[in-house]
Amino acid sequence: MKLSHVLVVCLAVSIGPAALAQKWEFGGGGGGAFNMSNDVNRPTESAKAKIQPGFSAGAWLENNSNKRWGGEIRYAYQNGEMQLTQGSAKAKFSGESHAMHYDFQWHASDVDSPVRAYVAFGGGIKLYRGTGEEQLVQPLSRFALLTKTQQVMGMASVGAGVKMKIGANWQLRVDVHDYLSPYPKEVITPNLGSEIKGWVNNIVPMIGISWTK
Amino acid sequence: MLRKSWILAMAGWLLLIPTGVVLAGTFGQVVPIGGAVADVALDEARGRLYVANFTANRIEVMSLASRTISTSINVAAQPSSVALSPDGHWLAVSHYGNNVSPGSPTNGVTLIDLRNNNSKVTFALANPPLGLAFGIDNKALVVTSKDFILFDPAVGTTQVISTFAAEAAKTLPQPAQSLPANITQASVGASADGRYIWGFGDKLMFRYSVIDHTIAGGSGYTASPTLGPRAVSVSADGSTAALGWWMMDIYQLFSPRIYADFATPLGDLNLGGHAVDSPRGLVYSEVPTTRADLPVLTIRDVDNLTLRQRLQLPEHLAGRAVMSADGKNMYAASDSGVMVLPVGQLNSVPRLEASVEDLVFRGNFCDRDTATQSFVLGDPGGAKVPFTITSSNAGVRVSPSSGTTPAVIKVTVDPNSFAAQKGTVAVNLTITSSTAVNLPSAIRVLVNSREPDQRGTVINVPGKLVDIAADPAKDQYYVIRQDKNQVLVFDGSNNTLKATLRTCNKPVSMAITYDRNYLLVGCDLAQIMSVFDLNTLQPSTPINTYAANVQSVAASARGIFTVVRDTAAGKTTIHRVNMSSRSDALMPTLGVWENSVPLHTVAVASSNGASILFPSDDGSVFLYDANVDSFTISRKDFATFGGAYAASAFGEYVIGNSLFNSSLVLTKTIQPTTGLSSGFAFVEGGGFFISAPDATSAGVISRVNSTTGLGVLPTRSVEAPLLGDVNSPFTRTLAPLYSRGSIIALTVSGITVLAPGYDASVASPNISRVVSAADGVSSVAPGGLFSIYGTNLSPTNIATKEIPLPSALGDSCLTVNGQPVPLIFVSPTQINGQMPFQTLGNVTLIVHTPGGVSDNYNLTVPSAAPAIFRAEVAGPGTLFPTVVRAANNLMVTDTNPVHRNDVLVIYMTGLGKVSPFVENGQPAPSDPLANTVADPEVFIGGVGLPILYSGLAPGQVGLYQVNVSVPGNTPLGLGQALSIKQGGVTHTVTVRVVN
Repeated sequence: MKLSHVLVVCLAVSIGPAALAQKWEFGGGGGGAFNMSNDVNRPTESAKAKIQPGFSAGAWLENNSNKRWGGEIRYAYQNGEMQLTQGSAKAKFSGESHAMHYDFQWHASDVDSPVRAYVAFGGGIKLYRGTGEEQLVQPLSRFALLTKTQQVMGMASVGAGVKMKIGANWQLRVDVHDYLSPYPKEVITPNLGSEIKGWVNNIVPMIGISWTK
Repeated sequence: MLRKSWILAMAGWLLLIPTGVVLAGTFGQVVPIGGAVADVALDEARGRLYVANFTANRIEVMSLASRTISTSINVAAQPSSVALSPDGHWLAVSHYGNNVSPGSPTNGVTLIDLRNNNSKVTFALANPPLGLAFGIDNKALVVTSKDFILFDPAVGTTQVISTFAAEAAKTLPQPAQSLPANITQASVGASADGRYIWGFGDKLMFRYSVIDHTIAGGSGYTASPTLGPRAVSVSADGSTAALGWWMMDIYQLFSPRIYADFATPLGDLNLGGHAVDSPRGLVYSEVPTTRADLPVLTIRDVDNLTLRQRLQLPEHLAGRAVMSADGKNMYAASDSGVMVLPVGQLNSVPRLEASVEDLVFRGNFCDRDTATQSFVLGDPGGAKVPFTITSSNAGVRVSPSSGTTPAVIKVTVDPNSFAAQKGTVAVNLTITSSTAVNLPSAIRVLVNSREPDQRGTVINVPGKLVDIAADPAKDQYYVIRQDKNQVLVFDGSNNTLKATLRTCNKPVSMAITYDRNYLLVGCDLAQIMSVFDLNTLQPSTPINTYAANVQSVAASARGIFTVVRDTAAGKTTIHRVNMSSRSDALMPTLGVWENSVPLHTVAVASSNGASILFPSDDGSVFLYDANVDSFTISRKDFATFGGAYAASAFGEYVIGNSLFNSSLVLTKTIQPTTGLSSGFAFVEGGGFFISAPDATSAGVISRVNSTTGLGVLPTRSVEAPLLGDVNSPFTRTLAPLYSRGSIIALTVSGITVLAPGYDASVASPNISRVVSAADGVSSVAPGGLFSIYGTNLSPTNIATKEIPLPSALGDSCLTVNGQPVPLIFVSPTQINGQMPFQTLGNVTLIVHTPGGVSDNYNLTVPSAAPAIFRAEVAGPGTLFPTVVRAANNLMVTDTNPVHRNDVLVIYMTGLGKVSPFVENGQPAPSDPLANTVADPEVFIGGVGLPILYSGLAPGQVGLYQVNVSVPGNTPLGLGQALSIKQGGVTHTVTVRVVN
């Protein structure tokens, strides 16, 4: 599915509740990005593949459809260097990702409460991009090839956070999301005879500010 | 009247040119002054050049814009020197009036106030002035025959700052035809920054520091011949200056030093001149050898007088010259007055420049066909310049032999014309022009037609090579290229040039210090000796040789000695070098003998540093013994000596073809005695000896048994070694490398590399397999590069960088159906070459080596056999096809994969015939490109790739390139098949493709 198609679907999901809108929220924030490492296995040896910690930035548009339930469309950019390691041997390649997803939110308190804890769950897509400079040779290339290309993967999202009023139309938001996607094997490509198991488990804590109406 | 006649003369001269009169071009414009010029001073702020007209008693004012004498300032008698104050306020003129009875002296200085209507005041001097110049303090240093006077024009005061032993100033009147420089015999000039003033007379030589009012140097120098032209030219910062035929600098703060001499100067005080161009590091000079020399301006490097260009002048220079601040023009005193030379605008004058120094034609026993090579003759400024080329030998023809630049000149050699010479014949191509102002060097065409028994591989090194030395600690060797003032450093493992070291002027001899740390280079036209750190190959502090020019140098374990031409003493002596103080000193005696040797004496140390041999061309010889630190033997048992000279670690010595014992008594004559001795090198108790009947014959190298003197297995080398002549009777031309992996000889074309087993019997060659050089598997197509595998294919490993490719390499050559094959690489088990384009179908290959001729190898050559080269980009065993992404100019690998929409360049061979036709062994042209006659088809994963270009890679031999674009629907993934199809043959490699 092309990225543009996915964006259209997400927008439609977002706009649907807007017809019943009682309260809108639009905001943005920044934070970190952390990924779990995955094993890259060859018949007689293994290495670790990981996207290094980086920074994240995002924006969201939320609609509270009733006192406790809401939904938001959210974009998150993450910067993180791709890395292969085996002992002291290391290969690096610049990279980034762009996540676009829709989350349903359930709040622990009413919409007018000054502090609202919430949980979120949803899904979307994540675009992985290798942005480094291609070289003739790369260390540990027998395990995997760090590549200057891009790949769109489906993604599940779960998260939790707190929203605090800081003004008549402003609120502070602190949240953390866990993005789960299949491994982008066109960007971090297992070489012939190698295998990467597992999903990309991506934790993204973020702090932001929203304008509400 | 004079002006009118001059104008008429100039008009006549200009009219001559369009009439087509054969007249070589000349550089510079003459502005006659109708008198005798004594000095010039440049006033760029006012657009003027002041010219001291010695005999007409006036300062001619030349307009820089119109280059005419716009006005004249009448002054007192005999204006001999003129200088402008840095602030432009004052023009000072000295007057040489050393009149004798019945006249009376009229020596003085006139001060002209340029800001006050040229008002003049004249001051009398007690002694005749030799010259004057202004410093940055706006005070003039007036140098008389007895003292230095500081003259302050602002207040009109004088101050004697130093005196010296009187110069013998000439008195007036002088005989007819005496010109100003012959009378004043002196010149004084200031640096552009005004901080230093240099000057010299017949005995006086000095540098005055304007800042601290100190004088370096003084009275008492000697020069033979006299130090002419009597003109001083100072560098911009005053650190160096040209004085007559000497280039000088200052060492140890106060001592002037001659760091370079002009070659064989006439010494005429009034003939020639020079100007230092500091920003460009050049000196423009005319220092003639004889009065009959044509007027020629040479352009040389200021640090060692290396000749760069020679330009014909309309008349001789005659004294002082100055540079404009922007470096565009040089204003020089000349026979008629002043010459304006646009030295900074050389590209605007017609010149000729050839693209090569040497052309090497290496015929061989495989190839007796006529051979053709080409070079480009052009004008550096891009102008159309007529030329004529003449060959000194009828066997070498040029086409076209005349025309207009730019031109590609084809040189054709008929080997049959040189069949009688088994060595290398040097034929000169002389280039002349009716309009070019420069005198281009002749092109040397080197023609060699070796036979199978002639051993060695020649590496062309242009220029005049005069000495060779092998490094005692590593496989590296050093060759002196005298005409460029260079030591060429070669890597002995592959005989490639590793570094070029700039030396003093006219290097003649080398020695390596016993500690192996320094290379010493003695120069015949310098009074310094160049020193290089052998660990870094960087120059080190030179050695001062104090008015002595080194003829030879040798280093023992205890002392370093030079044979020097001692200018001051007028004889040749032996000096001892002190490396700590970087100086040398005359040996008071040579042991019990006087220190005097013939000019043609050389020095060579034994490898263990125990002794130094000093043979002379008059048949005499000295021996220095390091153990007693003295000269222990002096003999003269022969009438003459010449040729090779060497000293062994075992108390044996060679001079010419004579072997001497430790007492320098003749023990043996090296056999064979035919030919002229050239080089000898002791190796582990024996030695190698090389000689030749003459320069065009083959050389003869043999191992010498030092006990019997017998040359074992004398073997013909590919060309003659360098031979001595009257001016350089001794030659050192052999250098076995440290590892003994090769023996290097200085030979006619450059250097000849001989394998240590050059004289070993060689088994016949045998061919086992012939395949594409690209992948070692595919077939071989016409014009393609291929590899032959087998045994005894060559005695040595040699790769060539020569273009066009030679048809013989090392001692091997190859024929296909009798046609010679251009070769790239030979080794005992492999030969790489280019299959001739004319080859097709069933062919027969034969390898020729000194061991004989191989059996016929029958091969079928298809019209096309595409094969992509492989390269190990990630270490041994990681072969990748030579497919290059245009996006980053890197080869495609798994980590630099093909992207959709990329443009790829695929380097391969075996694509067959091309159009236009390219000669075998010749590089492919770039305009027009040589396209394949039948285009290949290229696929990745079955998807066709549009071909952007298919043909030979420009500048390469036998290497094809196919440029393709990668469609957006190309399959992605690792291991995608990239296939080339041509003529029913498919060649496939795999690549990775990503988005």
